Amino acid sequence: MATASYSRRLPLLRLSLRESWIATIVWGMATSAAMTLYLGLYQSLGGSSSGFKELIASLPTELVATLGITDISTGSGYAQSYFFGLLGFVLYSIIGVSWGTAALGADEERGTLELTLAHGVSRTQLLSERAVSLAVRLLFLGVVIVVMLLILNQSSQLELEVGNMVAVTCALLGLSFLAASTAILFGACTGRRSLSLIGGSGVVVLGYVFHAVGAQSDSLSFLNVISPYTWAYENAPLTNGFDLGGLALVYSLGLVFLVVGGIVFNRRDIGS
Amino acid sequence: MSYAIETSGLTKKFGSNYALSDVDLAIPTGSIFGLIGSNGAGKTTIMRILLDVMRQTAGTVKALGVNPRDGGPELRRRIGFLPGELILDGRCTGRYLLNHYASISGPMAPGRIDELAERLDVELDRPIRKLSKGNKQKLGLVQAFMHRPELLVLDEPTSGLDPIVQIAFQQLTLEAQDNGQTILLSSHVLSEVEDIADDVAVLRRGEVATVSTVAALRAQALRRVSATVSGAGIDEVERMLSSVSGLSEQELRSEGEAVALTARLGGSPDAFVKALAAVKVLDVSIEAPNLEDAVLGLYDEMPTRSSYKKGD
Repeated sequence: MATASYSRRLPLLRLSLRESWIATIVWGMATSAAMTLYLGLYQSLGGSSSGFKELIASLPTELVATLGITDISTGSGYAQSYFFGLLGFVLYSIIGVSWGTAALGADEERGTLELTLAHGVSRTQLLSERAVSLAVRLLFLGVVIVVMLLILNQSSQLELEVGNMVAVTCALLGLSFLAASTAILFGACTGRRSLSLIGGSGVVVLGYVFHAVGAQSDSLSFLNVISPYTWAYENAPLTNGFDLGGLALVYSLGLVFLVVGGIVFNRRDIGS
Repeated sequence: MSYAIETSGLTKKFGSNYALSDVDLAIPTGSIFGLIGSNGAGKTTIMRILLDVMRQTAGTVKALGVNPRDGGPELRRRIGFLPGELILDGRCTGRYLLNHYASISGPMAPGRIDELAERLDVELDRPIRKLSKGNKQKLGLVQAFMHRPELLVLDEPTSGLDPIVQIAFQQLTLEAQDNGQTILLSSHVLSEVEDIADDVAVLRRGEVATVSTVAALRAQALRRVSATVSGAGIDEVERMLSSVSGLSEQELRSEGEAVALTARLGGSPDAFVKALAAVKVLDVSIEAPNLEDAVLGLYDEMPTRSSYKKGD
């Protein structure tokens, strides 16, 4: 039995999932609650019949553009403005940064990484299995999001297309994955929890700020070009479906960060 | 003779600080070898380089004949490691964690975890975060020994263990040696390793101060001696003792009719005892050689009989 455990596949992935499944389910419940709360109010806040549209129209256009509130009279515009562009983005950035920080930086700073790496695993294997663990958990949350969209689509009459639901979920998860891989990159390079947090949050905040400022005027729109938030959402996936170019940018940057992190991680001292 | 660990000119710099400089060690296969030194002497750094957790700045190192940098996971499966600052946490049980470590080290005989847990008296089925420091240390020992690695690298293995478990640990270590395994263990005090180690290296500030057998260290260690004699004045006693070689830190004071003497003595006590025999001895004590003092001296500089001072 014990000898068999030696040949068990992906031991670090298994441990990581075992240690984090409760947290993952809690995040899934938080996601469901937030979606129910926000999207459930579509008929009273958004929709063509509510007076909310007039309220938005009375706000300064700069503020409306900054918040990313576009067209809340349709279900897709409403869901993008209130959940995927705002609360969901914040929620999934927090998830990405905290999981990415836990994957390497926090582990090394706490002193537990040294013993793991003193065993029969390579650093590349460790980073890969933990990144996969993170991806598996994000995928689970992605399923939760799509299922909740399907449910709320009925009850709140959002009139969303199923393909677009998947498209916007991929965009949101891409931003979360990018935040996580940035945190992993900083953890891999420094071994510090705090720098890992700062790095991951930095990408989230800069991406959002570049998007918001870039939306203010044409002279600043170049900032959109370097904003992952813009890459993910510019083509309104909930309305127009998959934007493969934008998704490719977000996910490949995340992968590049992981590869660069892996290279540095392999070359430095651990726990010094 | 084959060596489980060989280092040559091993040097490690952190910034401008030398954590190790020019360390040459050759540790024979099947021996129990102690690394002794104060904090920061370089013991942990040597061990981390052996496990490829750190890389040296210069010099060569071989563990089980392989450069740790090239050996990778395959080499580390043949080594059992206990870190000096063992940190274990998580909501899983000790048993789960040990099975996890088993899955990332060499193959292990069935029932081995339970056997070791019983011998060290570890509670396997409680969540790790609820365990005391001593119990975590025992889990650390189990994961190091469980796959019977060819080489055991144990950083301060007995810290936090009660005396009964320390004895169990010593038995485990001696059994591992009988089994042909090599054990490298470190301590900041010699007394923790002198009973089991064959050879010790004393490190100070990243350099090897001496490599020696425990017996040889004992021979060069100093004894504390004291005596109270009567029938002679201070000057007379002093003249009497001047012929005794190996005596240092000599202090004499008169106590009424008698003269009280304290000193340190290296080598054989024969000359000292014979010199005292010339007068009336009211009291005498010759302590066993103090190995700790001998090693403390090596921490700073090789002690010479004339300049030796405790704690320097």
